[in-house]
Amino acid sequence: MNMTDAWVLPLLPAAAFVLLALLGPYLPRRGDWIAVGAIFAAFVLALLVAADFTSALADHGAEFAGVANSVPWVEIPGSIEIRLGVHVDAITVTMLIVVSFVAFLVQFYSLGYMKGDSRYGWYYAVISLFAASMLALVLAGNFLLLYFAWELVGLCSYLLIGHYNHLRSAAEAAKKAFITTRIGDVGLLIAIILLWRETGTFDIQEVFAAAEAGAIRTEVLTASVVLLFLGAMGKSAQFPFHVWLPDAMEGPTPVSALIHAATMVVAGVYLVARTLPLFELVAGGPELVLAVGLFTTFLSAFLGLVMTDIKRVIAYSTINSLGLMFVALGVGSPAAAMLYLFTHAFFKALLFLAAGSVIHATERQEVGQLGGLWSKMPVTSATFAIGALSMAGLPFLAGFWAKDEILVALTENRAAFALALLTLPVTAIYMARVFILTFLGAPRDAEAHEHAHESPLTMALPLVALAVLTLVAGFVAFDQVGRALGFPGGIGEVIFAHEPHTFDFDIAVAAGSSVLVAVGLVAGWYAYAARTELPARVSSALRPVHVLLERKYYLDDLYQTVIDRGVLGVSRVIAWFDRNVVNDTAVNGPAETTSLIAYLLRFQQTGRVPNYALAIIVGVVALALVAFSLKT
Amino acid sequence: MEAVSEQIPLEHFLVLSAILFSIGVYGVLTRRNAVLILMSVELMLNAASINMVAFAAYAAPSATIVTGIIFAIFIITVAAAEVGLALAIILNLFRNRQTANVDEVNQLKW
Repeated sequence: MNMTDAWVLPLLPAAAFVLLALLGPYLPRRGDWIAVGAIFAAFVLALLVAADFTSALADHGAEFAGVANSVPWVEIPGSIEIRLGVHVDAITVTMLIVVSFVAFLVQFYSLGYMKGDSRYGWYYAVISLFAASMLALVLAGNFLLLYFAWELVGLCSYLLIGHYNHLRSAAEAAKKAFITTRIGDVGLLIAIILLWRETGTFDIQEVFAAAEAGAIRTEVLTASVVLLFLGAMGKSAQFPFHVWLPDAMEGPTPVSALIHAATMVVAGVYLVARTLPLFELVAGGPELVLAVGLFTTFLSAFLGLVMTDIKRVIAYSTINSLGLMFVALGVGSPAAAMLYLFTHAFFKALLFLAAGSVIHATERQEVGQLGGLWSKMPVTSATFAIGALSMAGLPFLAGFWAKDEILVALTENRAAFALALLTLPVTAIYMARVFILTFLGAPRDAEAHEHAHESPLTMALPLVALAVLTLVAGFVAFDQVGRALGFPGGIGEVIFAHEPHTFDFDIAVAAGSSVLVAVGLVAGWYAYAARTELPARVSSALRPVHVLLERKYYLDDLYQTVIDRGVLGVSRVIAWFDRNVVNDTAVNGPAETTSLIAYLLRFQQTGRVPNYALAIIVGVVALALVAFSLKT
Repeated sequence: MEAVSEQIPLEHFLVLSAILFSIGVYGVLTRRNAVLILMSVELMLNAASINMVAFAAYAAPSATIVTGIIFAIFIITVAAAEVGLALAIILNLFRNRQTANVDEVNQLKW
């Protein structure tokens, strides 16, 4: 499989989508095997593309920046040329593997989780379309194609969040997700158009070349970069656009695992990583990314402490992780960000799928109704524990290496470093909290506990696979591992080969972060497992803070007020104008006037012959007068 | 033979024609009986006919142009045909409504 043929990858799940959408109801098992088969084939092809990439790296050395392959699509001579094409480099290959592998695992898991669902076939169709769009997004060689794929993943997210379409809350959540990300998408579109107007091309590499040559005016470049980042903020749930992600948990859990943990939400991270050269050319660009990322990660860390729905806790931890990825990008270390993206995909998907396992078995998601599931669901509990520890950053698990990489990159920036360090124990505490409350202790709902059983093989296998990956995937950061796999070095060497970055293992930073994580875990254990009243006492002592966190900093209320007063207020005025001025006066007016005139004129039809005769005579006389006056 | 033109000026004939026409118009507008309206219409036609013949006699007295006279013959022919048709209509109207009073046949109204 040549790298230049990578365009085949999105076509496989796309074909699966078309087949399932059209023929789904008539296929055996609604065609789920087509979908799973297509994504598995895409995964295999992704591995082959990676192999081709590594051999190309070996041939060309560190200078190899990637290949592009495109064909013209729409061409208007003199103005626009739109090409269809792919661009494959190190970031692309990483994303291809992550996306196709997690998508495959999630679709495999859904065989068990979504069994018996009334909209089973459509679920598989849309999830195939999502896989196709995401693959197309990471392969896109020009901005326009990227934007198409960007919007498509947003659409699939909307459709999948609203999968349980009998639930009002699901419909509202889907709407919220789509509209919130849309606001960012507008920014992205404007940025693409601005860049095109300055450079005349949509091709990403050409835009970079133009920017570096100074062909783009500073104001335009700054505006484009900020607007581009707006798009990334929307999709990747950064503050203040993060509000859609927790609500998106209304969708089925495999959807949450795939879209809202591993793939779609990292599209923003991918975009910024891909366009990092542009950010670096703008004064304050990386600082903006850093600030937004820090703020998001700090804010969301505390929200995980008060949420009682297991999926929502994991959702907030996702926002936390995404913020950290942007922090890494903001300090100019895309390698750290991609490493975290890579490992995060695995352990976050693992956490969600394990949560799904719990939900499937007990039909409950509130920790107030769970507890004591360790004995009943050992595989789920063990894998969840691994995922949670990796999220917290326990040494030697995947999350640890990734977070360490980011912290090392941050050491120059004192304030950012301190803030990031602060989030470590908080993350550890809330991950411990959710694990303990769900799996340990006495069961809080007897019926749920009775019902609980270990998941079937289709659901358990992906959990185990992801757990294994969580244990080992972090080691790709090391050069030795990278070379063993055939790459010229660790992940730092490969991503952005023109700025190679070997993995710095700073023992001080690692030790410090490990200590903080340990402190957090112990605190969490003490608070929730040992039967102290500590959590209750703390929350009553800090009641205002607790309420603030519970209401999610009142952001949802703020947005709702803005919409109710602002948007709906304006729309009421416009609606009044539309009804009264446009409809009643402009459209109905002439019609009513005509009607009125006709009503009055009909009295002319008296039915009396002499009247008509008079009319004729008068007409003739009038004409004669006119003719006479014209003649003279 | 002396032409009529030396004895009676043209205007006299035209005024005669106009007066007859006006009487005809008055009749069409005021009579209630349909047959009388028809008679008035005939009067109007004949007035026009006089007009034509007067011009024929005065405009080209010694010429062989007899356009006005031919016109008058046509008018008489058309009037005859039209009267036949109109009387048939009035007859039918009378059979249906038992009246020839045009004031009473005003059903085709608003």
